Amino acid sequence: MNTWWLAVIVLGVVSVGIGFVWLIAKVSSLQGGSPDRPGDIDSATRKDIEHIFNDEFRSELKNRGRLHFEKIIGENAMFLQQDLRLTTSQLNDYMKEEITAKLQEEFAKYEQSIMDAKQLAIDSITKTNAAVEEQRRTLSTQLEKEIAVEKDRIIKEFEENTAAIINHYLLEAIGDQIDLSDQLEYILSGIEANKQAIVEDIKSGS
Amino acid sequence: MAPKDPGGRVLELPVQVISPADVHRLSRELESLEDFLAQSAIRDPGSRMKLPSSTKLLDELAAANSFNFLRDGDRQKARTFLESLSKYAPVVHISFASDPSANFMSKLTTRLRATIHPQLLITVGLEPNIAAGCILRTPNRQFDLSLRRALVGHENSLINLLKAQAGVNAA
Repeated sequence: MNTWWLAVIVLGVVSVGIGFVWLIAKVSSLQGGSPDRPGDIDSATRKDIEHIFNDEFRSELKNRGRLHFEKIIGENAMFLQQDLRLTTSQLNDYMKEEITAKLQEEFAKYEQSIMDAKQLAIDSITKTNAAVEEQRRTLSTQLEKEIAVEKDRIIKEFEENTAAIINHYLLEAIGDQIDLSDQLEYILSGIEANKQAIVEDIKSGS
Repeated sequence: MAPKDPGGRVLELPVQVISPADVHRLSRELESLEDFLAQSAIRDPGSRMKLPSSTKLLDELAAANSFNFLRDGDRQKARTFLESLSKYAPVVHISFASDPSANFMSKLTTRLRATIHPQLLITVGLEPNIAAGCILRTPNRQFDLSLRRALVGHENSLINLLKAQAGVNAA
């Protein structure tokens, strides 16, 4: 619509220009005159014409034409100025609307991009969380298995070494508490039990 | 082979003489006495001289075998007997958890000489980690008669008892 208005304004200016040119041409033709008939009539007529349309008259016409032209020019300029103001205002509105629409569109795109990025990030985080959770589950299972294996190993080792531990504890606990004199019969009974081997070894050694 | 005197009598080793070190100590003491008596024989008559005091071990040896060490023949017998002991007497090494008393060693020596060999000599060692009992070493073998060995020997019984007790507790 604004383009149409601009075209109308340009057409108005061009028509005013054409009118102005036509007026100048008319005035020039009036000033110059043209011989109608040969002879006296022509010369008399020319004289009358020159008498009627003398320089003053022509000057008066020029002034009138100039004033009229200035008036037309002024009016057209006023119209043009109004049109220009209107056009400028409309252009401003148009630009505002266009810019606002463009900005809104860009903002919408931007917002959409942000939403897409956000969604991507959420998807990525969700996938990462799922992977971490899976890894945690795997590790937890593996850890439980290893703990169970280690527990079995410790229990087995404890069972295997229990006797040694208790022996060591007993030796540490009662080692200093048994009087050697009380052990005499125990020692002698042990020697008596190995008497044959001891005697044989002494005989073979000596 | 047990040392004998020229008459065929088996000489007796006092129970106080326990280790080869005691035998060597007796030999040195006997040599000292021999030297003293030899010196006294060549001294001027009437000069004063101090008799060497004999140890309890030497007195016991003399008493056990009815020796009179003023007699040359008895000293010779004793010296031969001690030399024979040093060379041929069987020696066993016994380790205890703590240092044994003299009374304990006397009883042990008496029983061992009655059981194993009449001239048995004993060297004593210390092995605190056996807790109780002893470790006896003959020239070629070792007899672990300690409480540690006894406990190790009964480990299976202990484990079975523990497992049985664990089963009772679980039930």
